[in-house]
Amino acid sequence: MAFLEIDGLRKRFGTVEILKGINVELEKGGFLVLVGPSGCGKSTLLNTIAGLETITSGEIRVDGRAINDLHPSKRDIAMVFQSYALYPNMTVAGNISFGMEMRGVPADERQKAIDKVAKVLQIGHLLQRKPSQLSGGQRQRVAMGRALVRDPKLFLFDEPLSNLDAKLRVDMRIEIKRLHATTGTTIVYVTHDQIEAMTLATKIAVMRDGEVQQFGTPAEIYNNPTNIFVADFMGSPAMNLVPATIGGNGNALSVVLQRDGREPISLPMAGAPAGLSAFKDKPIIFGVRPEALTDPEGAERNASNIATADCHIEVIEPAGSDTFAVTNLGGKAVVARLRADAKIQPGTVTPLAFNLTKAVFFDPATEKRIL
Amino acid sequence: MSAVTSPAREVSTGIRARTVNRIVIYGLLALFALFYLMPLFVMLVTSFKTMDEIQNGNMLALPQSPTLEPWFKAWGETCVGLTCAGIKGYFWNSIKMVVPAVLISTLLGALNGYVLTKWRFRGHTLVFGLMLFACFIPFQSVLLPMATILGSLGRFGVTLQNSTGFSFGLGNPTVNLVFVHVVYGLGFTTLFFRNYYEAFPTELIKAAQVDGASFFQIFRRIMLPNSMPIFVVTVIYQFTNIWNDFLFASAYAGTGDAMPMTVALNNVVNTSTGVVEYNVNMAAAMIAALPTLLVYVVAGRYFVRGLMAGAVKG
Repeated sequence: MAFLEIDGLRKRFGTVEILKGINVELEKGGFLVLVGPSGCGKSTLLNTIAGLETITSGEIRVDGRAINDLHPSKRDIAMVFQSYALYPNMTVAGNISFGMEMRGVPADERQKAIDKVAKVLQIGHLLQRKPSQLSGGQRQRVAMGRALVRDPKLFLFDEPLSNLDAKLRVDMRIEIKRLHATTGTTIVYVTHDQIEAMTLATKIAVMRDGEVQQFGTPAEIYNNPTNIFVADFMGSPAMNLVPATIGGNGNALSVVLQRDGREPISLPMAGAPAGLSAFKDKPIIFGVRPEALTDPEGAERNASNIATADCHIEVIEPAGSDTFAVTNLGGKAVVARLRADAKIQPGTVTPLAFNLTKAVFFDPATEKRIL
Repeated sequence: MSAVTSPAREVSTGIRARTVNRIVIYGLLALFALFYLMPLFVMLVTSFKTMDEIQNGNMLALPQSPTLEPWFKAWGETCVGLTCAGIKGYFWNSIKMVVPAVLISTLLGALNGYVLTKWRFRGHTLVFGLMLFACFIPFQSVLLPMATILGSLGRFGVTLQNSTGFSFGLGNPTVNLVFVHVVYGLGFTTLFFRNYYEAFPTELIKAAQVDGASFFQIFRRIMLPNSMPIFVVTVIYQFTNIWNDFLFASAYAGTGDAMPMTVALNNVVNTSTGVVEYNVNMAAAMIAALPTLLVYVVAGRYFVRGLMAGAVKG
């Protein structure tokens, strides 16, 4: 039995269904990230776990106990809000101890707990300040301190890093990860940033329109997306999704990519995969991540199925650590990821290596994964 | 302007036009300020003059031998109707009526605003819309119905007096006025607080809920301490309105010992025993205006700030 179990959860506002039957579970000490575009219901889902929103049907269990009818304060949870939600009229110490005060914890115990948390988060020197006198990163720490001091069963984070600048966001991300590693707490975390999701999570739930599109480990989500939406949403730059057809005959199948004013590219698939032969001569969506499309020298040595094709390079984007080259396949801009020092010029025709072991195929009609 | 005109000339005409604009604007403002302040000046000057000087002198002239006599007389000796004990008793009457009325209506308005923005229920806009009617109805139209209600409350008070020995203040004119002002002030105070709380971050309430604070704990510990600007605005507004009210005061406490300041002032001026003592009348009027003036001076800097804060959203 998992530590956090969400079972057939539905939430309806009038006739609009916001959450359409969510099933998710998380082991103790796990880090679940709910990720998706805005309006996908991820924050609503978090709020129902917190008890700040009611649910229409389904059940939420923490450690085997159904909590969906309990008041937020009785659920043994702590929450960090996007705006931090620090009480402006109280000092940092007052903010951290407010919850304990409400629960009637004696003053000396409160002080001990404040000191302990202040030490962990290194905010001891800020305790007597008001939130308005703190910087963004400091407020973030105080907000986490307020959650930590409860020592709850479940931590809920609602886009906690989205108000920070880019550099601080990376620092705090590492901080949160370290905190999770050292304290071993169970965390549910909402973000729209797929990099945060990939780096922090032990489990990711990719959501769209109130439904979980895919639930799994970061590696599963990244390497084996179940549909076009997940493939497109996770990863930066996004996966190249190119309309293609399956050609060839018998066991020798190949992926055929059309090009403007040039010969189509034909990429041979070694060992005809069973699922693909059913789509012979039919349109499919061919998905390849930028890092699986590179210069022949930079291609992965031990990949079993690499096909090389000459491509016309339209634009190159040197990003420092890598160079991205843009070519046009199947009427779409396709991004290849090359070594930083790759000798490549825009406007030339250069061979690119397709790592077909990493390629994925989708049915254009259902948008579901074929292979 | 043609392209031939030199840039320097363009700049100088621009500056001249702006100077003319400034002179017109400030001139008009000064003129209106003069109109506005003139009566106050005359009142103030007259209240320090002797009767001789008023009868023989120029209305705008400064007092030749300033005296506080009219002020003392207004405070302690002048005749209000048939009693000649000054206006001091009525001044305290007003204080006793205004302070509870302001505090109760402001706190209830804050509570209403809190519920209407943070604990929304089905039909909350309708309820708010109906409450706003209190801001728009002419008070003359409610004089008679309210008199009937106050009459019933008074009779109920007598019943309570007979059965329990204590009337709970029902039927007391001061209590009646507090009741009326709270009822008709609620529309405005609710409007003020609702608009202010509309922009108040809801995440703070959610955080407090997770922290285990109850409905009233959130109100007292989170909402009220962060409502200072709108609280001050509401208090100033209510204090000025209730202190200056003449209609309800004359209708429900127009005679007798509970008469508020405004009615008493009217009676001072209307009492005609021989000579009209302009200096005493002016001094009494100044005394009547002092508390509102004081409230503005003490809390005024919050006033503009608070009005702006409420105006941004909602």
